[in-house]
Amino acid sequence: MKQLNTTKNEQSLNWVGKRVKRIDGPEKVTGELKYMTDLHFDNMVWGKVLRAKYPHAKIKSIHTLNAEKLPGVVCILTHKDIPGFNGFGIVIPDQPVLCSNIVRCTGDAICLVAAESEEIAERALELIDVEYELLEVVTDAEKAMTASAPQLHPDGNIHSHVKIKNGNTEEAFIEANIIVENTFYSPRQMHAFIETEGGWSVMDADGFITIHCPGQYAHRDRMQIARALAYNPERIRVISSPIGGAFGGKDEITVQIYLALLAMHTNGRPVKIHLSREESVIAGIKRHPFKVHMKTAAKKDGTLIANEVRAVADTGAYASLGGAVIALAIEHSCGPYKIPNVNLEGFCVYTNNGISGAFRGFGVNQVCMGIETHLDMIAERLNMDKVEIRKKNVYHQGEISSLGHIVKSSVGTFKTLELAENCDLWKNRRQYKSAVSEPWKKRGVALATSFHGIGMGIGLPDYGAASIEILSDGKFLVAVGCEEIGGGNSTAYAQVAAEILNCDINNIKVVQGDTSRTLDGGTVTASRSTYTGGRAVATAAPNMVKLLTNTAAELLNVPPSKIEVLPNCLNANGKVVNYQTIYQYLFEHHRSTRVEGHFILPKEKVEIEGSGGAPHHLYGYLTHVVMVEVDTLTGETDVLRVVSIPDAGKVINPQGLEGQAEGGAVMGIGYTLYEDVVIENGFHKTRNFTDYIIPTIRETPLIETFPVEDTPEESGPFGAKGIGEVVMIPIIAAIMSAIYDATGARIYHLPATPERIFNALKELKKQNVYSSR
Amino acid sequence: MLVSEIEVVTPATLKECLTMIANEDMNTRLIAGGTDAVVRMKEGKWRPSTWVNIKGLRELRYIIEKDGAIHIGPLTTHTDIIKSSLLQKKANVLVEASREVGAIQMQNVGTIGGNIGTASPAGDTLPALYVLNTVLELSTRNSKRIVPIEEFFTGPGRTILKKNEMITNIIVQPHGENEIGIFQKLGPRKAQSISIVNVAISLLMEKDRQVLSGKIAFGSVAPTIIRAKKCESILTLHPLTDEMIQNVAKVAWKEVMPITDVRATAEYRRDMASSLLERGLYRLMRRWENK
Repeated sequence: MKQLNTTKNEQSLNWVGKRVKRIDGPEKVTGELKYMTDLHFDNMVWGKVLRAKYPHAKIKSIHTLNAEKLPGVVCILTHKDIPGFNGFGIVIPDQPVLCSNIVRCTGDAICLVAAESEEIAERALELIDVEYELLEVVTDAEKAMTASAPQLHPDGNIHSHVKIKNGNTEEAFIEANIIVENTFYSPRQMHAFIETEGGWSVMDADGFITIHCPGQYAHRDRMQIARALAYNPERIRVISSPIGGAFGGKDEITVQIYLALLAMHTNGRPVKIHLSREESVIAGIKRHPFKVHMKTAAKKDGTLIANEVRAVADTGAYASLGGAVIALAIEHSCGPYKIPNVNLEGFCVYTNNGISGAFRGFGVNQVCMGIETHLDMIAERLNMDKVEIRKKNVYHQGEISSLGHIVKSSVGTFKTLELAENCDLWKNRRQYKSAVSEPWKKRGVALATSFHGIGMGIGLPDYGAASIEILSDGKFLVAVGCEEIGGGNSTAYAQVAAEILNCDINNIKVVQGDTSRTLDGGTVTASRSTYTGGRAVATAAPNMVKLLTNTAAELLNVPPSKIEVLPNCLNANGKVVNYQTIYQYLFEHHRSTRVEGHFILPKEKVEIEGSGGAPHHLYGYLTHVVMVEVDTLTGETDVLRVVSIPDAGKVINPQGLEGQAEGGAVMGIGYTLYEDVVIENGFHKTRNFTDYIIPTIRETPLIETFPVEDTPEESGPFGAKGIGEVVMIPIIAAIMSAIYDATGARIYHLPATPERIFNALKELKKQNVYSSR
Repeated sequence: MLVSEIEVVTPATLKECLTMIANEDMNTRLIAGGTDAVVRMKEGKWRPSTWVNIKGLRELRYIIEKDGAIHIGPLTTHTDIIKSSLLQKKANVLVEASREVGAIQMQNVGTIGGNIGTASPAGDTLPALYVLNTVLELSTRNSKRIVPIEEFFTGPGRTILKKNEMITNIIVQPHGENEIGIFQKLGPRKAQSISIVNVAISLLMEKDRQVLSGKIAFGSVAPTIIRAKKCESILTLHPLTDEMIQNVAKVAWKEVMPITDVRATAEYRRDMASSLLERGLYRLMRRWENK
């Protein structure tokens, strides 16, 4: 890997590593920013989607005539109106744009309506008559895998099967002094973004289609749209930023294809679709519920010697990124530890339970709770310290992981554990635990650690790209494909650019998520956008410096070597050239004002057989320490304090990192204690935020963030690596263990609702009564 | 009925309002804070041809002490109640319950009359009103009647209120010198939540921990709010020691008949009736002793 010319020492950095205010902050905080779904035009028509009435049924006929006759209806489209391929899906396009013969979940789309008002469009949906023949509903992933289950797709219900084997687990289990074995169940978490799926689209007189729709990869969305429309992608523009939150839920196509199809039938009028929260709950992508069976073995001294995992993920009706989710889960199922003998297996299975896909953590959340709970159980049985057992088993840079590969990139786990061990909450936990306010309340303190791969893994091309343009007002326009989904990457890009260009951050404008204005630089997923986009900006910026220097040299008639790059200007022998002058000169001479930077992510060379893309070259690491208080009368659990200790390499913006760490912690609290989209027989019992419980500010504890920074990642911009997902992972296991620490009850089924905790406590009481007899 | 076809009329006075709802040709419904009405309208459940918007009827928004009782206008918001020093002093259990309604935004617009009229078995102010011996004044254009709150509800979302009738006054009995009250709620989270179980307790104390009489009302464990009469009678038998509290609380389990829904199972709700009563009595005794 070529070294960047960005290896200034810490003291000389002006922007990177500083608490820089978010560049998109003021307009978001004041509400001045308009999301694309906020926009309305006088000649706009409303689009609506007719969803399936049943979770699994044959479509016998679709009658749209009555709806077409309704005054105010502009058009009604069915599968017959799809010019191209009737399907989408990031990995395999198994989801119909509009169903023609079978519906596989209640989120399935059958017709599109455009009408003069939202109400008329809704009324038109009611007038469409779809005749169904009901089919048996597949509700359980384990049952879906059996021969007797109805087959939902031509290749059967097992969408993918990954397997990693290393060493010999059978022998290790015989040798072991301790074996723990448990099954863990995890919920169907909803992204619950503030802006539900939606957007608007318009086709001009020349047939050029523009789609304004929040997404996580505009260039790929455009390809999926073009495939369905059988349309030249160059004649389609996708604008995908700004976004009212995504978290993975807008990685897949949401409504882009519907918008494009409708725009072709509205005579040049803009058409808007904006899902209600209720429709978003039914049709939007969710986190895969997992069943994870894990068996872990250790020696008397706490050395882990074997781990066996069988994970089953319910991907619902369509694959989306389910195959990749289960692969990443299996890759991370042994934690950041070196376990010599492993036998790991994962299945991604079709059911009629909505659709699952990408979500912050991407499968690692569901397995982390298993391995981390087992570490604590083993430590307890050996009467060993919880930090000690982890320190003993973590891999270090250059060591062999549980998967059997040498980890070449930076590894911060050990450092994060050291910091955890020395933080106030852990050191003084006994004192904190005894400070309960009422006699029936119990407090517990626990920690957990985890990791998360950065980038796509083996088998998928992974690249970053950015361009920088000098503008007439002397500002620089930094263009990166990766959208600003709320994580703060725009500010990171501006910092990196300002640092290398040696200018004020106010001199940087950032544009993101627009196929016409930004280069294809991959997704905003996989904890990659600060690392990849930042590195791309750091690759483009020296080219801009060169352009500035050469132009200034020409202007002043001196050799480029005489030009000094000063803050906000260039200089030679006391003569100063500002950026506007350089722009003027380039413009007058018809020269390019724009430079590009491209870079390919480092990858491992050898794929672990059967793993579906493991290992990653890079991982981010994080340890959480939490304190909870359980009300044993009701089972209510309060998370009172969180300490988040990330290894993100060099931190580009401490304030941004804290934002991620705090948001991630709260999302992890929600996952562990409250959130689940309940589906029974293929129908959603959870309908909206009345019953989908996410944490509010009253459930948000004190969260402290202490990054470990002495493990910079050489390939990243200024030594940074990704952190966007792992910030919500170990806290899940930590809360579960803290509940145990407080009460003696272990919860294996999330969310750990008051009812589940109360019942576990009741069970415990019964056992105690029984054993004391 | 489409939402855009619904008319909204805004009467200037109570009299005008009562005249409007008396019109049998008009399919009307009252709307005040709208925290329930708008949601039901969105769901398609409440689609009258005319909303009678009473939000601005100042004459129905008051908290006053009169003839030894406290009169609360039905358009009094939860926030009004929370901020009332009179209620804080003499009917604190209602103040506590109002604090648990939804979140601050809903407390600012939601009204006590609306909370009663919606008749949800989980309505947070209702158990408090039960233990404060509340009576309601119901008015039509030509008549008035006074009904104890316990006789007002007929089932979930159902009341004895006639189409031409509305709640015009809520009269609660204030706490005396030795009376204390508390409201306890269990929801799926601390704010913005619908009660899984709630309970209001009001005790008349003698001395130390001896209870002269007590009232306990549970929400969300039966088709309407219910009084736990057995628990109430046991309360007075012995001083309310911590052990006695546990014994009383256990009885609550037998006095409720909850159902299973998406928020909780019937079994858990039953257990929680006991738990909340125990927690409430415990906290109330601490307060009493610190008084």
